[in-house]
Amino acid sequence: MAKKTPAFQRHCEDLNKYAVAKNVPVWVGGEKIVADRVVKTACPHNCYDTCGMLVYVKDEKVIKIEGDPEHPITRGHLCLKGYSNVQKINSPDRVKYPMLRTGERGEGKFRRISWDEAFDYMVKKITAMRSKYGSESLVEYCYSGNREHMAKAVSGRFLNLFGATKLVGSFCLLSGAAGSYQTVGYQHTMSPEVWSENCEAVMLVGRNPSFTNPHIYPFLYRAKERGALLIVSDPYVTAVASKADLHLQPRPGTDGAMALGMMHWIIKNDLHNKEFIAKYTHGFEELTKLLEKWTPEYTEEITEIPKEKLIRAAEIFATKETHLECGYGHQRYSNGHQVQRAMACLAAICGHIGKASANYNFIDSMGFPGIEGFAKTAAVTSPAGAEIKPTRMINIATFAKAVHEAKDPPIKGVICYRGGLVSQQPWVDYTIAALKKLDLFVVIEQFMTDDTDWADLVLPGCHFLEQYGLHTSYWHHFNQILVPVCQPYYEAVPDLEIFEELGRRLGYAEYFPRERTGLDYIRMLIGDNTDVDAATSPNGPVRLGEEWCPRVPYEKKDFNTPTGKVELYSTMMEERGKKFKGDYEPLPHFIEPDESPCRTPELFKKYPLTCISQHPAFRTHSQFYNLPWIQEIEGPPKIFINEADAAARGIKDGDKVRVFNDRGELTNILARVSIRVRRNVAELSSGMWVKLGGSVNKLTSLSIGGPRDVLSEDGIMYEYHPLYDGNTTAYFNSLVEVEKM
Amino acid sequence: MKNAQITLYIDTKRCMNCRACEIACKLEHDLPVGPRYTMVTETDLMVEGEPKSMFLPTPCLHCGDAPCLSACPAGAISKRSDGIVLVNKDKCIGCHECLWACPFGIPQFGSDGKMEKCTLCAHRVDEGDRPACARACPAEAILVGTTAEISETLRRRYAGTAFAKTLLGGAAQGR
Repeated sequence: MAKKTPAFQRHCEDLNKYAVAKNVPVWVGGEKIVADRVVKTACPHNCYDTCGMLVYVKDEKVIKIEGDPEHPITRGHLCLKGYSNVQKINSPDRVKYPMLRTGERGEGKFRRISWDEAFDYMVKKITAMRSKYGSESLVEYCYSGNREHMAKAVSGRFLNLFGATKLVGSFCLLSGAAGSYQTVGYQHTMSPEVWSENCEAVMLVGRNPSFTNPHIYPFLYRAKERGALLIVSDPYVTAVASKADLHLQPRPGTDGAMALGMMHWIIKNDLHNKEFIAKYTHGFEELTKLLEKWTPEYTEEITEIPKEKLIRAAEIFATKETHLECGYGHQRYSNGHQVQRAMACLAAICGHIGKASANYNFIDSMGFPGIEGFAKTAAVTSPAGAEIKPTRMINIATFAKAVHEAKDPPIKGVICYRGGLVSQQPWVDYTIAALKKLDLFVVIEQFMTDDTDWADLVLPGCHFLEQYGLHTSYWHHFNQILVPVCQPYYEAVPDLEIFEELGRRLGYAEYFPRERTGLDYIRMLIGDNTDVDAATSPNGPVRLGEEWCPRVPYEKKDFNTPTGKVELYSTMMEERGKKFKGDYEPLPHFIEPDESPCRTPELFKKYPLTCISQHPAFRTHSQFYNLPWIQEIEGPPKIFINEADAAARGIKDGDKVRVFNDRGELTNILARVSIRVRRNVAELSSGMWVKLGGSVNKLTSLSIGGPRDVLSEDGIMYEYHPLYDGNTTAYFNSLVEVEKM
Repeated sequence: MKNAQITLYIDTKRCMNCRACEIACKLEHDLPVGPRYTMVTETDLMVEGEPKSMFLPTPCLHCGDAPCLSACPAGAISKRSDGIVLVNKDKCIGCHECLWACPFGIPQFGSDGKMEKCTLCAHRVDEGDRPACARACPAEAILVGTTAEISETLRRRYAGTAFAKTLLGGAAQGR
């Protein structure tokens, strides 16, 4: 090379401009310490709440975090993860500098290198890969560790310019989102301050807000104080189910059948809203035909919900102004898309859509700000004047399968950030086997995780408090821009800047001007729609515009579907089904999950427990698991099993057990014999690290939620639309067995 | 005198096991792994044939007539005029008598072997503020104040509202 690349150097901004106040006394460990500044930001950890935070900084170190009392929804409260960020950002275990592998993959042996050496290494490997296999041999792995959308758009800019394979889809909720979208069109949520003051009943499905949405409680309680009834559907006795007036405990994976049974009863007893159905729905007759067989008796047989309870739920739902709040648990099965369709249809036949007193919530489109135009994502990912060629895509729900099967060209390089690949993808052993095939595995991380063990290069990633971000809540409507509250610790570099520099060094310098900050990119994304300054510390949060986040969604009943109506019979599904393989059945029929007592009776004999996983209070996915405070409070990995199942296996509460199936095993798991799960169900929470024991993904299957059958395409696609094709990893249709150790 | 004392009330209808109070406490007091000034205990029980879980955060209750105080042979435990029970580590001899006496198992012993426990965030209370756990609780289940203040809050929440009829905030209502 004739021209020497200038040494990598970060431009450190003066962050005092974001101070809400300076020289602020704050209590730390019983002592009053004067913080240099307090900065307002928000938590981007892929959670409904997206809490407003006040962060106290002294000598560029975070010394205290409190909730922002001015945030209209989170009102000054944080969750335990929110507070524990003080321990996380200050942890001595953080990845402090770039490290290059010296031992074998999996050994975890590395040596410290400089950022320049790290970039040189990547450029050399990526260039060699490109000449040997082509640019599509590179792909990113990025998910929601920090779910802000700005740096992801900037990494997208680099990957697009380079021509890498695109990572698309979700392993979380797109099955439900696709089912929802292809029923009602737009994806909106009604903010909790609206329904809590107006509803007569609330129904929660597949949602355990204590751990994933704690700020819903003041609103739920407000509704209850007003006299509203609470119905909860969950196979597990969650805290919110314990506070419900009616708890339906379906067999895992049968929530869709439950909704069909409720609809059957509602229509049979003439409790449906005929005017709404006539004016605003499409396909009522076809739906009625589908519902014929879903008598309370048949529904009980499938769901194991006593028919009296089902009837009571149906009657409350139809006769009261019932607001439906759907989570994501019920759609993490292979039938997830149809389950969510059934939920939307249930709300529709009762006319509980488009009212302040009763609406239908799944996920707000703000959860995907790029899809429907709120954020001008393409302005960042596809810069004007650049030649961006279309590339193949791989679906994150089937990531390991795609790495195993891709041939033309093979996937040879993965840059992994903001996601635990090994810990979060299903079937750990299969995932690790895929990683072994790579020529280059780069991991940008804050800690030495399950991923870094398999990495060639580990780069010190920034905590979210050290970088800019855009995370609009997918539940409420208040937005706070994320700003760096302090300079990065150690040699950590913001994700955005890593991709910018990589882009510069691979020949795209003109697209990554050095003077641009994360805030500039955020302005490019949403500056047309939002007053960014008003949402940036010391200001904020701001309510997003009515155009994007209506106070009462669907009030005008202008549904964004081909028929302009709520599609009980989905013409979108019907059309898409002509093009792609999958379950695009236009009616929300019930299909058994891929592994279940009814679908796979032989496997069920061998592995008679359906293993479901809560997202526990203690983690967002795999994050926070390694923190001492969290480990102390959570205690050892536990599996909840029913008394009868325990007795049949000679297991007592507190015994150590082995949990296993054909895909893998976990040992030394603490058995909790409990009434929280029914017979043939086990609960083992998600996100525990493989190397620390307890990772449920040692056992989970590759099965995915639909509608599109991407597995049959090896997860490799040339056309994809998230809201038509969906996909979710079907984590919960996994059968296991437990034995005493 | 006693009416002016502040005390703590856990509204178990509202506590929902999020555990934010535990970490907020750790952060406020800069506690290492070991001493836990508050802890959420979980209980499962059948209510009218329905499985239910119930949760109880257990910070120090700052008893009116504190057994730990009477039990301490070293005179290390005292009760302030506002009701807060505090331990003076300089006087504590690490004998664990307080732990024997406490009906709730509150006293904690860290690496120095001396008793420490929830102070009701006296440092904050002295400034007219609330303890860290109460500030943190998203469910607003931890109430701190005089008995008159607490009972006013509870009356507002439950007197004459539908919520009042519910056991554990659930089960019995509307059947």
